[in-house]
Amino acid sequence: MAEAIQKKLQSELEKYQQMQKDVSKSMSARQKLEAQLTENNIVKEELDLLDGQNTVYKLIGPVLVKQDLDEAKATVAKRLEYINGEIQRYETLLKEMERKSDQHREVLASLQQEYQRAQGRAIGKV
Amino acid sequence: MAVNLTELSLPQLEGLKGQLEQEIEFLTSSIGQLKVVQTKYVEAKDSLSVLNKDNAGKELLVPLTSSMYVPGTLSDVEHVLVDVGTGYYVEKNVEDTREFFKRKIDFLTKQIEKIQPALQEKHAMKQAVIEVMNMKIQQLHSQQTSQSGTAKA
Repeated sequence: MAEAIQKKLQSELEKYQQMQKDVSKSMSARQKLEAQLTENNIVKEELDLLDGQNTVYKLIGPVLVKQDLDEAKATVAKRLEYINGEIQRYETLLKEMERKSDQHREVLASLQQEYQRAQGRAIGKV
Repeated sequence: MAVNLTELSLPQLEGLKGQLEQEIEFLTSSIGQLKVVQTKYVEAKDSLSVLNKDNAGKELLVPLTSSMYVPGTLSDVEHVLVDVGTGYYVEKNVEDTREFFKRKIDFLTKQIEKIQPALQEKHAMKQAVIEVMNMKIQQLHSQQTSQSGTAKA
């Protein structure tokens, strides 16, 4: 009896650990997005300060390519939009994960209690 | 603080101390990184002063690698190319560039000023935790000695 519960506890614990790994992976992905967002916001601010007199170049590989100011602005705006969307996506993903791992924690706690009770009974018999 | 430190057990305090130490390390390295970047901007801004009318047309040595230089002439002292981030470079005149650097330096100063109080707060918290820990250890000690004293008697 106790052994069966122990096995179940073990597998549930492994599942839970896997889940925690996923959570931290998503967390770091989110943080990276946040950094990109900040960087792109800074670039946007700089581009907004420019006028037609300034020439904008884009670094593609090792070469600088001349680019239209409006085009550069549009690219950065699009990028910001994409990053914001991604952050939102991760946010909902993380919330969902949080909820699931909370549930899992409860399952684990009750299993642990069951295991302890079963162990107590086994000792009582001996 | 919502939690009373004296109510926590020693292992809990140990954990809290570790956590605070990690946070302090993170904040300290953040400030260090910001300062490095700030120094770079200050250096770049200072080197702009070479680009003035008096130096136009003068000869200079351009580093092709760190150990090889070729002679060149300073043909344009009014325009520079600035990296604004994410692979975009903008041609600006010297005046605008100086402002650009000033903006960046001010921005970094503000960021550092934002982090500094948080770091101090964490330091104070860590100190408080250590104090409570010491107190608890002392209590434990005196309890043990008094117990062994009564056992002997």
